[in-house]
Amino acid sequence: MYATTYFKNRVGRNLGYSRRILQVWSIFLLLCFTCAAYSQSAPDGIVSGIVRDEQGNPVPKATLQAANKIALSNDDGSYQVKLPAGSHRLVCTVTGYEAVVSQVRIKPGGQLTANFSLKNKAYGEMEEVVVSKLSEKKNLETQGFAVNVIETKEAAVRNFQTNELLDRTVGVRVRQNGGLGSAVTYNLNGMSGNSVRIFIDGIPISTYGASFSLNSIPPALIERIEVYKGVIPAHLADDALGGAINVVLKKGMRKNLTASVSYGSFNTFQASATSMFRNSKSGFTVKASGFYNSSDNDYEVWGKFVRNILPNGRYDYVRARRFNDAYRSVGGQVELGFTDVKWADQFFIGYNGSDDHNDIQHGTYMSIPYKGRFTESQAHVFSLNYRKYDFIIRNLEFTLNGMYSDRSQVVVDTVRWNYNWFGEKSVGLSGDPILRPSGAQQGAPTINHINRNVGTFRAGFNYDIGENHRIVLNHIFYTIDRNQQDLMKSEIERSFIGTRDLSKNITSLAYEMKAFDSKLRTNLFGKYYQQKIDRMDPVLKVENGQTTREEDRVNSNKTTAGYGLAFSYAVTPSFMLLTSAEKAVRMPSEGEVFGSPGENIVENISIRPEISNNLNVGVRVGPYIIDKHKLSFSVSGFIRDTRDKIVQRINPRLNDAVQTDPFENLGKTKSIGFEAEAYYTFHENLSVLLNMSKFNSVFNMRFDPNGLQYEYYNKQLPNEPYFTINSRVQYVFKELIQKKSALNIYYNFGFVERFYTTWLDIEDFRTPRQFIQDLGVSYLFPNKKFVVSADAKNIFDKQAYDNFAVQKPGRAFYLKLNYTINNF
Amino acid sequence: MKRAFLKFLMFGTVIATVGLTGCKKDTPKQEEEEEEVDKDRWITIAGAKMGTNPGDGNGGTVVYSISKEDARNPGVSVSVYDNGFPVKSNRTARLQSSEDGKTLFNIAYTGDNGGEFSRYKVNGAGSFTQEDVTVNISQYASTSPRWVKLFDGDKTGIAVNVANIQANNAAGGPTPDAPFAYFRGTATVLALNLQDVLIAGYKQYEIPLSAEEELLGHAIFRLDAPVLNKAANKLIIGTWMQKRNPATGLTESGFERLGSKSVVVDFPSLENPKVITSTVGFGDNSGYRSFNSFLATDGNIYQATQRDSKGSHILKINQSNEYDNSYVFSLDQALGVEDVYVDCWRYAGNGIAYALYTYGGTSQGYIARLDLNAKTATKVDIPYDVDLDFGQYQGILVSGDEVYVAVTPVGKNGNIYIFNSKTGTVTKGATLVNKAGNHYIGVF
Repeated sequence: MYATTYFKNRVGRNLGYSRRILQVWSIFLLLCFTCAAYSQSAPDGIVSGIVRDEQGNPVPKATLQAANKIALSNDDGSYQVKLPAGSHRLVCTVTGYEAVVSQVRIKPGGQLTANFSLKNKAYGEMEEVVVSKLSEKKNLETQGFAVNVIETKEAAVRNFQTNELLDRTVGVRVRQNGGLGSAVTYNLNGMSGNSVRIFIDGIPISTYGASFSLNSIPPALIERIEVYKGVIPAHLADDALGGAINVVLKKGMRKNLTASVSYGSFNTFQASATSMFRNSKSGFTVKASGFYNSSDNDYEVWGKFVRNILPNGRYDYVRARRFNDAYRSVGGQVELGFTDVKWADQFFIGYNGSDDHNDIQHGTYMSIPYKGRFTESQAHVFSLNYRKYDFIIRNLEFTLNGMYSDRSQVVVDTVRWNYNWFGEKSVGLSGDPILRPSGAQQGAPTINHINRNVGTFRAGFNYDIGENHRIVLNHIFYTIDRNQQDLMKSEIERSFIGTRDLSKNITSLAYEMKAFDSKLRTNLFGKYYQQKIDRMDPVLKVENGQTTREEDRVNSNKTTAGYGLAFSYAVTPSFMLLTSAEKAVRMPSEGEVFGSPGENIVENISIRPEISNNLNVGVRVGPYIIDKHKLSFSVSGFIRDTRDKIVQRINPRLNDAVQTDPFENLGKTKSIGFEAEAYYTFHENLSVLLNMSKFNSVFNMRFDPNGLQYEYYNKQLPNEPYFTINSRVQYVFKELIQKKSALNIYYNFGFVERFYTTWLDIEDFRTPRQFIQDLGVSYLFPNKKFVVSADAKNIFDKQAYDNFAVQKPGRAFYLKLNYTINNF
Repeated sequence: MKRAFLKFLMFGTVIATVGLTGCKKDTPKQEEEEEEVDKDRWITIAGAKMGTNPGDGNGGTVVYSISKEDARNPGVSVSVYDNGFPVKSNRTARLQSSEDGKTLFNIAYTGDNGGEFSRYKVNGAGSFTQEDVTVNISQYASTSPRWVKLFDGDKTGIAVNVANIQANNAAGGPTPDAPFAYFRGTATVLALNLQDVLIAGYKQYEIPLSAEEELLGHAIFRLDAPVLNKAANKLIIGTWMQKRNPATGLTESGFERLGSKSVVVDFPSLENPKVITSTVGFGDNSGYRSFNSFLATDGNIYQATQRDSKGSHILKINQSNEYDNSYVFSLDQALGVEDVYVDCWRYAGNGIAYALYTYGGTSQGYIARLDLNAKTATKVDIPYDVDLDFGQYQGILVSGDEVYVAVTPVGKNGNIYIFNSKTGTVTKGATLVNKAGNHYIGVF
């Protein structure tokens, strides 16, 4: 009976979705036709030339950009770029040289030569940070999406974690449960938890697991991080309800080797190296990188949450060092292949291996310290990447990524005693050590091995129709088989643990268009999600008096569609409007569909996906240049209207010993807010970045079944850091100590307004207001190969909290040495 | 306490005599006499705010105190949610009050302060002063302990916990290669000194059932709602039972229930746990967030059952600390309905008790007056609402002959109702102003 109703539901829903998708695509096609005219309106001309350095040597891989067209110079320094007829500012940039601008005027169908001669420049000159990757950053940020592109160039030579970089980004709040390596959640414009998806090079991060994550990957291995808020472009295919963070690893255009080591407070040691080699004749390319992180995280904690409980139950407030919080991770990646050859722009096969160990000092709150609880994870990821422009036919780009990953993780918690903050066994009234109430530090004793095999395959086609139209088709198939073995359970119990295998297919289609001399850029997209979960629970069957173990199999197959658009319009070159909107979805997780036999949560096969209607509207203004002052500014507002939120009802009368309620689609929340960012530079010495984000994430169920308005309706949800400000100030002294050297001084602050952590407005359940300040300095030696950085974090040793009752590190010092060789 | 209780009884007798012999004109006199018993007793009302779903009570607990006079006056409106004092607890607080109503006791349930016992002085209205000494029992009894106060003159609170239920041959245990014999957890029984705010003592042990029961996979899942016997030398602790299939290790839902069980331990040593089993009741007797067993005037202990396969029963435990199986009081039979489930109940004196219950598998709450001696139950005549749910109810106040209950359907206004345990009269008291999704959970 179950099966038939379920089947009916599915068919019904499928028909509904198909209809909706049809609607979306008809609008889509209509737009295609109406806009096709624009592509004919501005015939192109060709600008070509050669880029050379001061000595007259050709400079390969220089970026030439004008009117949103980008070209790269070849190995011989030559380049060619097609531009619409008219006047353009053609900007030539390349790492290590000063940017050069050439004004070009081109007739329809005309040809023009513009040669560039570039001047070397020193690292540390601010413009490099701003200009060198401007093209990609700006290209992404002006498409219309609410996206921030985080450049890692400066951070790479300093003592920074990737999570710290993200945390300073407007609209992003990183909440970490302690020091380096501890658990992290991300909040994007008021949406968090599993509504934020993380990708590495466009592949869901779950392919890699905990050991290769934003906790372990150093900024030096990252090219850039793209943070999409609310609306996610088609090529990042996953059911990301509230946003996506895409980490783009270093692509390496030129032969180089960089290496760094850093050491600092809490015995924190970090090293990373990355290298790339390319044989210019055969195109054979090798890329390799590796990292190592370790920290004792034995920072001091104090205050009302740090207390030892005396045998009689009274508190003894103490100042103590964390003692079970060490973290270590190591990883590396090797890719072999060919670049810029006839049959491929890129072809790589690769291996990525990583391993970590993470001690866990406490649970949700630090009021009870743990000893001996830790996790270890490992991942072996094999990959194949292929990319080719003009694939089979002209103007068709084809990308293919295939990955197979073997992930394993173990959670160990077997220590049976209570510990105090000095790492000693707590004793009871009788003088004997006290057993933990649930058998081990956090729960029942466990040595739980969880193994996952993850396969991820992604194929994409980009087809350019003329200069102004592009169609993007993307498909991702993702499959994960998971099994677990808790070695603390008996053999029988272990053989009766079910399995959950999940597979997802997500197809997305997008149409990108430019019009009015590229002043208008639009991107329309639709996504179709299919998720299948196979559940197998072993059961005992009695037949003819014989008891046998049988496998009870059920599967859930859900499909749904989402769609959205992004557009930008440059009213003037320095005033741009940006809007994006998406009907975003999140598919229910395996636990939400099938419940959990361990926690007696019953299944709900008919549970629906969560839906959120997301909207962003913003403007980017500037840069305005007056003498040596330069100012740019952006502000945007957003709405996240989430429905069918998956929550679990509580019913005290059900027998918790037997079963508890399933998950249901009951909740509604809304998040409305805005964020702003200003960037000011003076001459080539001073730069100031200031950003702020403020939102109201509110309970959005208005009436109870009797028509009475809920008390919380439109009230801020508890435990949301809703108001943050970040600032970064940088000053450069050139040639202060040595000729051709540069000394950079940095100052940062982060402000988080206090917030309540429960619906009760009690001071005790409110976080303190935070204002954390950091200082840094880096020195570039004249040979341009060596950079030394020193950082002092949380200089006033303030109590810092991302999560309620979890203190983060106090004052800390770090020193880092970086070494780079190019063109060896 | 004993003296206070005797006082109650004495006045009860006086009032009963007056009630029986007097005419209407005597009513003011009766009130006058009662005023003298508990003249300045605060009536503290507790409300539970919703967390994410209406009626879940996970948004925290708010309290507000009014005078007895106001509590009796239906013209008085009280809104704890607007004017009340939020009790420091992440989820619904586990409140108890002193007998004179001047002190409120709470153990915070989960959260950073889970397991923290604190005392609040009741100053009236929304004014409560938290005393600066707290004591934390989480190391012994977890951050979500179950506890009640003993009826011993506000001297002792007892918190209980069962954790880490595992097979005797669990891989991590001492005998991984032994054949299966039982699933057992480690039980903790802890005594709190409520006056000095200290842990007075604790014991931890495994509590075995019979070998046959254990071989079938039965185990004590939770302990709750302890009560002190008449001799004040034993605690009777309610149980919540679970059955796991020894062949799979998984919990079962459709199992045949054993007779209701209680754990008897020595007091005040908390030693020598012993399991007693009823042949009358087949449910759990752990209650939920409140008392579930009471020492009655006749010296015996009366206990309600929940999730009883034959509907809730009131069981009797005699002064030898054994179930009196000759005492059969089925609420299904007494009320003439099926599947009665007692959410919360309270003994009011002289064999009379009041029970908040549901029946027929719905969650709609009703109130019944029980006569433990006559084994009869009558539904109390007050307006009932489909959204009235006593599932999380914790506080029925007995003050003299009067029994106070806060009756509010989820998200709707309601009233305090005052039942006279002697006469059975029902008085509609102060109006309780409610908010969507919230409900009132007690009078203390």
